[in-house]
Amino acid sequence: MSDKRLPHDPYNVIITGVGGQGNVLASRVLGSMLVDKGFFVTIGETFGPSQRGGSVMSHLRISKTSVWSPQIPGFRAHIIASLEPIEAIRVLALYGNPEATILCNTRPIYPVPVIRGEEEYPSMETIRKELRSLVPDTLFIDATEEAQKLGSPILANIIMLGAVCGTGVFPVDRHDFRHTISERVKKDQVDINVSAFDIGTGLVPA
Amino acid sequence: MKVFMSGNEAIARGAYECGVTFASGYPGTPSTEVIEEFSKYDGVYAEWSPNEKVAMEVGIGAALAGARALVVMKHVGVNVAADPLFTVSYTGTNGGLVIMTADDPSMHSSQNEQDNRNYARFAKIPMLEPSDSQEAKDYIGLAFDISEAFDTPVFLRTTTRVSHSKSIVKLGEPAPREDRTEIRYNPDKYVMVPAKARARRVEVEKRMIRLKEYAETFSENRIEMNDPDTGIITAGMTYNYAKDIYPDYSYLKLGMVYPLPAELIKEFASKVKKLFVIEELDPFLEEQIRSLGIEVTGKIIFPYTNEFDPGIIEAAMAGSSSESRQFSLPPIPARPPNLCPGCPHRGLFYVLGKFDCFVTGDIGCYTLSFMKPLEGLDSCVCMGASIGMAHGMSKALKEKGKGRVVAVIGDSTFIHSGITSLLNLAYNKSHAVVIICDNRTTAMTGMQEHPATGYTLQGDIAAQLDLVELGKTLGIRNVHVVDPFDMKTTRKIIKEELSTEGPSLIISQGPCVLLKKERKRKKKPLMIDTEKCTGCKLCLGLGCPPIAWKRFEDMKDITIPKKRKNQEGIAVIDTALCNGCNLCLQLCKAGAIMEVSGNE
Repeated sequence: MSDKRLPHDPYNVIITGVGGQGNVLASRVLGSMLVDKGFFVTIGETFGPSQRGGSVMSHLRISKTSVWSPQIPGFRAHIIASLEPIEAIRVLALYGNPEATILCNTRPIYPVPVIRGEEEYPSMETIRKELRSLVPDTLFIDATEEAQKLGSPILANIIMLGAVCGTGVFPVDRHDFRHTISERVKKDQVDINVSAFDIGTGLVPA
Repeated sequence: MKVFMSGNEAIARGAYECGVTFASGYPGTPSTEVIEEFSKYDGVYAEWSPNEKVAMEVGIGAALAGARALVVMKHVGVNVAADPLFTVSYTGTNGGLVIMTADDPSMHSSQNEQDNRNYARFAKIPMLEPSDSQEAKDYIGLAFDISEAFDTPVFLRTTTRVSHSKSIVKLGEPAPREDRTEIRYNPDKYVMVPAKARARRVEVEKRMIRLKEYAETFSENRIEMNDPDTGIITAGMTYNYAKDIYPDYSYLKLGMVYPLPAELIKEFASKVKKLFVIEELDPFLEEQIRSLGIEVTGKIIFPYTNEFDPGIIEAAMAGSSSESRQFSLPPIPARPPNLCPGCPHRGLFYVLGKFDCFVTGDIGCYTLSFMKPLEGLDSCVCMGASIGMAHGMSKALKEKGKGRVVAVIGDSTFIHSGITSLLNLAYNKSHAVVIICDNRTTAMTGMQEHPATGYTLQGDIAAQLDLVELGKTLGIRNVHVVDPFDMKTTRKIIKEELSTEGPSLIISQGPCVLLKKERKRKKKPLMIDTEKCTGCKLCLGLGCPPIAWKRFEDMKDITIPKKRKNQEGIAVIDTALCNGCNLCLQLCKAGAIMEVSGNE
C-alpha cells in the first residue's frame, strides 16, 4: 500500500464520453492500477443502448480506508475526464463543483440532432469559456489529434487516462500502466498504448 | 487473493467456487456476463438457451438430476420463465436450483421497471439480494445451500448497479466437485397433476414457515447498531448509498429480502427512535414491515421510480425536493444512442420509414430506428411481440390494414419468441408482412451466439437453423431474402409483398458490423465532393454518424460553389468514422459521394 494520501477520501473520478470511445476500458484500467496499489476502488458504469453512440460515464470511488458506493453524490466529482467536449458540460451539470479538475478532449462527436442540422453544437470557444468560468482548473487536451498522430484515434481514451494520472493525484506511473494494459490488449499493442499514456501524462503541467 | 470484479463476474466466480456445474440463460442486460464468465471455468456446462422459459426448464431438469444448476436472466426474462417457475416451487429441486434475476431500476436498457422481489412472494420462493461484488460472490453459495437444505428454488436478485459495478472480491478455492447426478423417480413430487400438486401445495406452505424461521438467524440479515436515534432497514445497493451519506445511523441490512425475519425487524425497531425503510421501486419491504404493526417512513419521502443514488437518499431524508446548487450551463444537444456506421439495419429502416405502414417493432438494436430521422418503427412491447401484434392489427383493420402492417424482429428475438407467432400468421391466414432483421448475432447485448448463427456459446459448430426453410415449414408461402445494403431491391420486394395476399416473410440479411469477422473486413470509406454537393440533405436522412451538415455561414472558406439558389450548406463525411457501406452513395442524386481514393 502506498503511503501517499489522497487529497480527498473518497476521491471521486468521472470518465465520460460517447459510447464506443473506450470509456469503459479507461475506467477499468485506472481502477485496476489503483487496486494493485492497495486502494479500495468501486466503479459504476453505464451499460446498454448508450453504448451505441449515446452519452456514457463511469464513476470511480477511490479510498485508502473503505469501500464506497458506485455512484458519486451530486456535485461531488473531484476529476472529470471527458473524451468529448459537450459531455464534460453534461456531467458538470450533475456532478461538478468549482473545486473540481476537468480534463477535456477537444474533438467533438456530433449527436444525431446536430448532424441533421436541427440542434446547435456550441462552438469550442464557448465551451472553453464556459467550462473555465465555472471550473478554473480546466485543461483542454487534443487527445484525438495526438492519437491520430500515433496512427489510431481510438487511443484518445488512453491519452486521457494518461492525463488523469499526470495530475499526480494517484501514485501510479507508466510502469503500472504497462503492467495493467498488458493483461488487456494484444502483445503488439502494448507499446503503442504506453506511448499514448505517456503523451497524456506529458500534456498535464507538472 | 483479492481481485477487482463486476457483480456479474463475481456471481460466475461464486457459482464456480460453490460447485455449480450447470448454467443456462438467455442474454439480457444487465445479466448477460454471468453466463459468459461462468462458461470460461473448467469442468462446467453452460448454454445460451433460445429463451428464458427454456433456460428455466433446462435448469429444472439439471437440478432434478442432482446437479447444482444456475439459471440467469434479466427481470423481464422471469416473465417469460414464469410458467415453469411457479410449479418448480411445488416440485422442489432435488439438486440446488438458483435463479438469478437482474432487475433494471431506471430502465437503463429495458422496456419496464418491474420489481422482481414480488416474484419471490408470488411464487413462494426465497430471495437473496447482494449489495456489492463480494456479497454477490458469497450469496450465490448461500443461495445454493438454502436451495438444497429446503428443497426449493432460490432467487438471487441483483440490480443494474450491483451487476455492473466493480469492486474488490476475495477469491476462494473452488469446492471439490463430486458427481451427485443420477436418475431419480418420484412421481409424487415431480408429476404435478392436480392430485399430486394439491399435496405439494401444502408442503410449500410448510417450507415457507421453516424459511421464515431460518431468516431470523440467517447471517446476512444483520443489525449494525450505531446512533439509536435513526434506524434504517434496507437491502442491496441502497445499503451502500445510505452508508455513504449516513455512516453513523443504525442499520438492519437484509441479505434475504423474502421471507422477512419478523422478530429481527421487531427487535431492531424497538432499539431505534425513528425508523426508515430505504428501497428502490416498490414498497416491498415497507408494506410487509407495516403489516407487522411497525410504523416506518418509506415511500412517503422516497421515490417509487428510478434507481437511487446517495444524493437522492440525502435529499429525501432532508426533505428537500431538489438540489439547490445548480450551475448555469450553456444548452447542449441531446445525445441519443444511434445505429453504428455500417449497420445493416439502417438501409432496411430507411426504406421502411418511407412506406405508409404501421411497423410493429421488437427488442434489439433496431428498436433505435424509431427515432428521427429513420422513424422506421412504430411499436415495441416485449421480446417477440412484433409478429403477434402485426397479425392482430391486420385482422382488426381488415381491408384498411391490407398492405399497411409490417412486423420487424431480430434474428435472436425471432428465435426467442417469434417462431410460434409466425406459425400463427400462417395458420390464421394473416396479411401482415414479417421482416426478420438477420444480423447473425444477438447484437444489443454484445454478440451472443444463437441457434441461427450455427455456433454454441463456446464457439463450437452447432446445427444451424435455416430461417428460410423454417418459414416455409411453418406454412409461409412467400419467403424472400434481401440484402439491406441494396435499398432499391429491398424497397421493391417489400412493396411487392405488401400488395400480395397472405402472410409474407422477408429475411433481411446483413451481418452486424461489430462482429469480429466483419471488423476485419477492410472497407473503403466514402467522401463528399464539395464541388458537387447540392446541399439537398437526402444523405442526412440516414442518421449516419459520420455524415454531418455544414452551413455556409459557419465556414470561413466560402470558395465552395452554390449549386442551387437557396442552398444553405453542404454535407460532409468524417472518413475516420465511415464504414463504406454505400447507403448514402445510393441516395445521392448529385453523384457527389465517392470512395476515398489512394492513401488518404
